[in-house]
Amino acid sequence: MWKFAGIRTLHAIPVLIGVTFVVFGSLQLVPGDIANTLLSMFYTEERGEALRAQLGLDKPLLVQYGIWVWNLLHGDLGQSMMLRQPVAEVLLDKIGNSLILTGASLLIVIPVSFLLGTTAARRFRTATDRSIVFFAMLLASLPVFWLGIVLLYLLGVNIKWFPMSGMYNMANPGGFPDLIHHLVLPAVTTAATSVAIVTRVTRGALIDTLGQPYILSARARGLSDFRVTYRHGVRNVMPTFANMCGLQIGYLFGGSIFTEIIFNWPGIGLLLYNAILQRDVPMVQGCILAIAVVFVLANLLADIIVYGLDVRRR
Amino acid sequence: MRPAAMPAATAATVAPAAKPARARSTFYFVWRALISDRFALLGTVIVGGFILTAIFAPWIAPYGPDDADPALRLQGMGTEGHIFGLDNHGRDVLSRLIYGTRLSLIAGLAPVLLGGIIAVPLGLIAAYYERFGHLIMRVMDVLFAFPMVLLAIMLAFFLGPGLENLVIALVVVLVPYNTRVVYVQALAERELGYVEAARAAASSDLRIMFGEMLPHVVAASVVYSMTIVGTIIVTAAGLSFLGLGVQPPTAEWGIMTSEGRTVLHIAPHASTLPGIAIFLLVIGFNLVGDALRDALDPRTRLVRVKLARGEQTSPEAEPDPVPRVPV
Repeated sequence: MWKFAGIRTLHAIPVLIGVTFVVFGSLQLVPGDIANTLLSMFYTEERGEALRAQLGLDKPLLVQYGIWVWNLLHGDLGQSMMLRQPVAEVLLDKIGNSLILTGASLLIVIPVSFLLGTTAARRFRTATDRSIVFFAMLLASLPVFWLGIVLLYLLGVNIKWFPMSGMYNMANPGGFPDLIHHLVLPAVTTAATSVAIVTRVTRGALIDTLGQPYILSARARGLSDFRVTYRHGVRNVMPTFANMCGLQIGYLFGGSIFTEIIFNWPGIGLLLYNAILQRDVPMVQGCILAIAVVFVLANLLADIIVYGLDVRRR
Repeated sequence: MRPAAMPAATAATVAPAAKPARARSTFYFVWRALISDRFALLGTVIVGGFILTAIFAPWIAPYGPDDADPALRLQGMGTEGHIFGLDNHGRDVLSRLIYGTRLSLIAGLAPVLLGGIIAVPLGLIAAYYERFGHLIMRVMDVLFAFPMVLLAIMLAFFLGPGLENLVIALVVVLVPYNTRVVYVQALAERELGYVEAARAAASSDLRIMFGEMLPHVVAASVVYSMTIVGTIIVTAAGLSFLGLGVQPPTAEWGIMTSEGRTVLHIAPHASTLPGIAIFLLVIGFNLVGDALRDALDPRTRLVRVKLARGEQTSPEAEPDPVPRVPV
């Protein structure tokens, strides 16, 4: 287990280095004078000079990259142009809020998709199965930003069950219950696509498993359908299920950008959106780097946990 | 004890009775898949309807996409002469939706097409030359380290606004996934007899790759491409929603949603209707994609034939549920 964890971690390192290359190199995509184009209508002589100095644009490319990585390793991601604060500081401030949202969405994804996936597989080729598959297809086709707006309008504006925006009630902050109250709609919105994906995969894996001889032998021994499915079948599907859920952590984290905008959730997604609107280059790069790193680490963690769960591979 | 092998004479008398299986073209299976299943038919009708709408937009739309009647701004659905109401500039929502179909179809189909054109040769070459393949796949691993939407956002931001840049960004996002599909398929093909035969016949590498292997890997790429169109349409609309890609005042569904969001309280139709259009179009493509996947996958083809005859099939023969790449 530890050996596997070690090797898997070593594999993640070149990927992380590659990620820094991509995030840094993306700046070279900008056509024309980088400072001028990026700032466009926000361009002033002063801001342009500041950006050029900060990005070190007068130096050769590799030197620029070296400096950038060196600063990165020292926790320095540059200075935000819109907030006039260090990017790293702002990111650290907001990343927790995004993780809360991701965690809450995951708490929805895991039980819902488990229930839907296993039920569909148990009732393979029945009306129940087909409706679950169709429902998953609908969920997978939903534009997240639209779902957010509809939920907001129906449950926030029309029937005032849930608050419209933010994490806490500004006038009257109510601690944990207040947070949960604010969390429901954004978490449901973020979870929708992932529920569809995990349901589909779980169903497929369980259908495969239920076709195997040992399941037939369990049935022949007269075990109940419930017992056969959940004690014998599901056990072999667990690694796949856990792996899919682990993958979703990264997607939920990255996908929450639309949710955060619509529900005004003060996380990295909203920060990225504002940085894009304000053309705050260091902030955009910082947000993207942060999300990508969380994505890689989440996948790493998921792989190791799945390995631990899978008895056959020990 | 097994029965002794049949003498040659018996085999000859049996032969005429067995009719040779009629070879069916791929198009036959595709066509059958699209019209045989209720859901697939629904998808075909939806996609076909949107394509016709896009082509004949100027004839169908009651107003131009930018014609504004400020006096009626934000009037709701069912306003006289404007079934779907008007937006915050007094433009007819229905007309803008109709014109927006064009952009969503382009933004969905162009990257998939271009991505396929790049991914198929790339995947083939990567599978054929092992060392080059490893290198390519390591590069792809880095791109897989970004959630799809995030990579698209980053590229669209740095490339700047505009439809071409949007398409470029989506192509770059799509190529790794499509290449991997081709690569995996080509790796399996490379081990098969016909490739070895071609090599024994001293065919050049290029000929083996593009003359022999290409037809076998294209289907996988096409199937993958069709299942991903919906995701790409949502992503493209999402980028315009964020203010990247296509810019206002263009009639584009993501932009309409974003502009309508500011007036959600008083005019919910302005932001929700474009979303419904995206939703419908994506459902259409997803249904068509699923049907094509079933039609072009030989294993599923067999299952369908058996199911149609009412024979038992083993669950293992069911198609793998291809996980859609999440946004």
